Order: sequence, then C-alpha cells, then structure tokens
Amino acid sequence: MKQQDSGSTNLNRRQLLLGGGALFGGLALGAGLTGCGGAAQAAANDIRFWHLLSGGDGIKMQSMIDRVNAEQAAFKVKPTVLAWGAPYYTKLAMASAGGRPPEVAIMHAARVPGYAPGGLLDAWDLNLLAEFGVRPEDFSPRIWEKSQFNGQVYSLALDSHPFVMLYNTEVAGKAGVLRTDGRLTDINSPAQFLEVSRELQRVTGKHGLSYGYLGDGAQMWRLFYTLYRQHGADFVLDPGKPAQVERDVAIDCLEFIKSLLDNTIATKSGDGGTAVAEFASQGSGILFTGVWELPTMKTAGIPLGAATIPTLFGTPAAFADSHSFVLPHQAAADETKRRGVYEFVASMLKGSLSWAEAGHIPAFQPVVRSSEYAALKPQADYAHAADIINYDPEAWFTGSGSDFQSYFAENVQNVFLGRDKATAGWDAFISRINTVLAMPNPV
Amino acid sequence: MSTVRIPAPTGEPAPAAPPAKTSPGKRSTARLARPRSRRDNIHGWAFSAPFLAFFLMFLVWPMISGAYMSLTGKSLTGANSGFIGLANYAEAFGDSDMWRSLGNTLYFTLISTVPLVVIALALAALVNMGLPAQWLWRLSFFSPFLLASTVVSLFFAWMYNPELGLFNDVLVKLGIPPVAWLNDPAVAMWAVVIATVWWTVGFNFLLYLAALQNIPQQHYEAASLDGAGGWRQFFSISLPQLGPTTVMIVILQILASLKVFDQIYQITAGGPGGATRSIVQYIFEAGFTGYRLGYSAAISYIFFGLILFIALVQVFITRKRSA
Repeated sequence: MKQQDSGSTNLNRRQLLLGGGALFGGLALGAGLTGCGGAAQAAANDIRFWHLLSGGDGIKMQSMIDRVNAEQAAFKVKPTVLAWGAPYYTKLAMASAGGRPPEVAIMHAARVPGYAPGGLLDAWDLNLLAEFGVRPEDFSPRIWEKSQFNGQVYSLALDSHPFVMLYNTEVAGKAGVLRTDGRLTDINSPAQFLEVSRELQRVTGKHGLSYGYLGDGAQMWRLFYTLYRQHGADFVLDPGKPAQVERDVAIDCLEFIKSLLDNTIATKSGDGGTAVAEFASQGSGILFTGVWELPTMKTAGIPLGAATIPTLFGTPAAFADSHSFVLPHQAAADETKRRGVYEFVASMLKGSLSWAEAGHIPAFQPVVRSSEYAALKPQADYAHAADIINYDPEAWFTGSGSDFQSYFAENVQNVFLGRDKATAGWDAFISRINTVLAMPNPV
Repeated sequence: MSTVRIPAPTGEPAPAAPPAKTSPGKRSTARLARPRSRRDNIHGWAFSAPFLAFFLMFLVWPMISGAYMSLTGKSLTGANSGFIGLANYAEAFGDSDMWRSLGNTLYFTLISTVPLVVIALALAALVNMGLPAQWLWRLSFFSPFLLASTVVSLFFAWMYNPELGLFNDVLVKLGIPPVAWLNDPAVAMWAVVIATVWWTVGFNFLLYLAALQNIPQQHYEAASLDGAGGWRQFFSISLPQLGPTTVMIVILQILASLKVFDQIYQITAGGPGGATRSIVQYIFEAGFTGYRLGYSAAISYIFFGLILFIALVQVFITRKRSA
C-alpha cells in the first residue's frame, strides 16, 4: 500500500514536471515562430527578392544578383526562388495580401492585371527611377505600354521573351532551305511552311519540326496566339461581357496547328522534354519554343539559327511575356529599403546584357543598342521581335502560368491530338472563359 | 466505439482468462471508482491544455471561420468581400467543373481502393506463404511508401512519357501500340492509380501481413488434419480472420483516396482536359489561383458534407458488424 502511494506521488511530480515542460516548450515554440519573422526583417539592409527563375535562367539571375551585391555595400539582395507557375503566383499574392511580402519580386508582365487592381502591388515612382538613370524612353513602346496599368507604372520589364523558332542550319542546308547568308529561307504562307518542314523531315528521317505541347497549356497557347495575332485578329476580355474573339480565325489557326501534328512533320505525342531532346539530337530541323531554350541548344552543340515564327498570315506577330520587377504591396514600406530596391533594379536593367545570354531580349534599350549585344548570335537575329510582341489578352485571370492557359489546354489539347473537332474545342474554351468573365471579379 | 477487434496475439481461444488472483487489478479499479478530486481535474486540464490550444487554434477556429467565409464573397485581394448568404453554394451546385471534379475524386477512390486492398492482401498472403528471404520481400513492397509524393510523381511522369518513357518503350518492344498514358482522358486516371498503388500499397500490405502472422497456426494445423487444401484454408480461415483488418484498411483507404491531390497535381496537373482534376485541386484552384476564397470555402464544405456522410455510413456498417 505504502509502495503504491509513494509511486503515485512520484507519478504526480513527474506529471507536473512533464506538463510544465510541455507548456514551456509550447510557449518557447510560439515565441520562436514569431521571433523568426522578426529576425528576418531585422537585418536592416537586406532586400528580399522573390523570383521564379530556375535552371539556366536561375544561375544567370544569381550571378547578376551577386554582381550587384558586390558593387555596393548599402544593401544586400537575398533571393528566394520558387517554382514557376501557380505555386509562385499563389505565394506572391498571399504574401502581398498579408502586407509583409518581399521588397521586390519578378512577375510576368501579363500577370500584373491580376495583381495591380487588387492593391497587391505598389506603383513605381518615375522620378526616383530617373534618379537612378532609368527613363521611360529606355524601353521599346510595346513593353513600356504593358508596364502600365490605370495610368501608373506597376512593372519594370527586365526582358521580353517571345515564342520563337530555332533551326538547325546543317539540316536546313542539306534540305536546301537555307539562304546564302546562312539564315532560313523566307516563309510567307502556311503552305510554304508545310513544304519546308517536309523537306527538313526528308533530311532527318524523323520529323521536320519539334513542338512540345502535351500537358502544357502555355506551349499550346503561345503558338496559337502567335498565329491568331498574325491574322490581325483581336482578343478582348472584358469582365461582365462575353469574350470578343474572331471564331473563324481561331479555328483556322487550330486547324493549321493540327495539320503540323501529322506524325510526319511533327509528332502528335510531343511534350516539352521530347521536343527538346528530339531537336538536340538532330531528329528535326525546327524547334518551336521560347527563347529560354537557347542556352540548352547551344550546349547541345548543334549548328543553330534563330528567328521569330515566320509570318504565315500577313501580320508579323509573336507571343511574348516579360519578366518584370514589381513592388509587392507593403503595409508599411521602409523608405531606405525602397531606395535600395530602385538602385538594385536599375543596376539589373543596365547589366541585362548577361541576361541576354540566357536567350531573353533585354528590355532596356541602351543594352540592346550596344555593339556587344549585336555581336551576340543568334540572339541578335530575333531582337526585332520586341517590336512585334503580343502579350496575353488583358484580364485578371490571364498571363503566363495562369488558369487561362490551363483552360486553353483543357479544351484544345484534344483538337491538337485529332480527337476533337477544332470548332468543338474552341467553343468549349470560349464557353469556359465566358463563365469566368461572368463570375464576380475578385480583384 | 468498439469497432476494430484486433486478433488476440497469443491465439488462445478466449475462455482461458488469466486466474483472477492479482490484486493490482482490483486496486486499480478501486482507484478509478474514487470520486475525482479538484486537483485531478486541474491536472487533467493542464495536461490537455497544449493539445487543446492547438486543437482550438488550428482545427476548431478554422472550421468556424471557414464556414463563415463560405457565406461571403471574400477574395484574396479583399475585393467584394461582403456577406452574400448562400450564393456561393448556389453557384457551386450549378458549377459543372465542381461536379466533374467531385466525380473524378469518387472515381479515383473507387478504382484505387479496390486494388490497394486486393493487391495488398495478395502480396501479404504471398510473403506469408513462407517464401525465402521474407525480409527482402517485405522491404521491397513497403519501401516505395517511404518516398515523397514529388519523387514518385517525377518517376512516373518520366515513365509515362509518350516518346521517351519506359512504359511505351516496353509496349513497343512487345509489339503493342504505345499508350498516351497522361494525355488520353480515358487512361490518365488509371495511370495515376497505377502510380498510387505502387506507392502506397506497402502500408496496407504491412497491416495485412501483421494480421496474417497473428492468425494462430493451430487453425491451419486443424484444417490440414481435416484435409483442407491451401485455397480452402485461405478462404475459410485467413480471410474471415482478417475481417476486422480489412474493415480498418478499407476505411483508411477510402479516406486517403478521397483527399487525393499531390500525385495528381504533380503528374497530370488535373489534365488532360480536367479528366483527373480532384475536388481538392479544384478547391485549391478556386481559392488560390482564382483568388475566390469564399467560393473555395463553400466547395470545401460541400466536400466536407460528403465525407461526413461516408463516415456516418461507415460507422453504421461497423456498428452492425460488431453488434
């Protein structure tokens, strides 16, 4: 009995100690968690910078940041890299909605209409920018126009990255479609493009064209919108109203893309990785892709040319987006840090020649006009794309990596695969878009 | 709630209870019967407090605040955030994508739960047959379960690649036409199920194996003496003895399958054409990429209602079983 009693008091004491310990631990944990955010903000000259550039782009970006950090001691940029697409944009929106986002971030310019009106972004101060040597006339007109929303500048483009075509000069030469100056022969019509692709296919024995699109709404949209805009057709999204589009043109474009995917000119079952691998192993003569694949292809060591997608339907046009610097909305902005951000962004723009090595076209015109850039091949061959770029139709749900591009994939992939009629796929896509346009606007 | 009966580890048919001479047992019941003192109560609450605090903060409060949110137009950016009554629910019930995602989730649950139970049982039975190097089999079947969903998804996305992937490579070599694993709406969900089964079957397998090894050997010996063969023994002894384990596995599996998100999001991202989009993904898209938190909360509560219904059905069934 005695034994039992003492046992029970022992147990009680132990329980108390344990309970107290747990409580204390909980408090310490709570304090630790809040302390964490505090400590991260405490470093007075740290500038937090979020971006979504990985792979070769990411390495390039890091070296540019390192250079800016080394050039001055006033601030230190600390980048955070998040996965491209929805994972990045959801986090950036959440952080901005919470009022304590990073001081500066990269966004696709076409995503800004989904952020700026909701108060998730702060506008750039042009006077302060001018102080650091960045003026509106340093940007080409289409890019500068895109940087504005409701009369204010919300994004500063680092680049434009159009959807282009890379070609294998050796294969093109054998196929007899190379001009004497070493560039691909001029192509002005859909029929001519099919013909050239078939010539290339005869040389490679596999395919003429590599185009990876399976499961990738962005890729499908990029090519489609390039061709759609080459018809000179408009695509207007106005919340509360049905989409204003030219159905015949759209269906024409879808039919043309479908005619490319005939398993001879290009494979029906090509995803991004397949297309890159096929082109890199000389299994095709042309690759439809974003400029960002350029370094991969240079590394692969194939004889390379680059150009904008040929103007098949009359009006030169190229789908593009821009990596742009934005100021996520701060509940309480720190003026010193803001100045640091302006200085950082100005340095990045001025140093964007090295960004061009990653394939992108610098937005900052003094860089584009430099002789160093002109010497950069094949980048300089598509630099004029900046004058014919077309961003996504403007709406809160469009832009790179947006739901809009997923809706496109959901309804159009089966058209590309030959399972659905172009009319059916297109109508389903537009009906989906109209549903979104009819929803209460959340921004 | 005496739902799951765990097979007696010793296998002694129940009546042979240990002789009731032990006094500690008696004493402990006496202690329990004693009226609780205030001090005991305080201790009790003190010990529960850390858990209770987290429970209230991270489960009860979010549920209440989410329920309220589902009645508002709350968006991520703060626009149009007023109270709108049941408008979100009305919109959700008329939203064909919501129904489709819900249908996809139920379809996935159905076609994943069956193989995850049957294959687990088959693997456990095979291993339990007394194969050599049992530990190796156990390890092989269970180890995929230890992988992160991202790793599994990457593996399978590569293997399903239409041109360069392992699966189509093998099919073509066997003279079978390649399959558009992730791009054919009729196949994509099965592709996800195959990946899921490979990944998670090990857990159910382990539960079954443990249960099988707990079936007393005497039963099998007696059956052999009576002339029962292997199959007869399996169906008349093993299977009935595994009943409670099966109920538990099915319940756990249905709940796990209903909340599927990771592997689908990472392998197909809900494609092709929304054919594999699960309801959890739709909730995520409505709320986070679509900004409409209120609407997203309303769909969550519709899904919650469905799970509640399934849980109640399960409680009803298991209660009937144990009655």
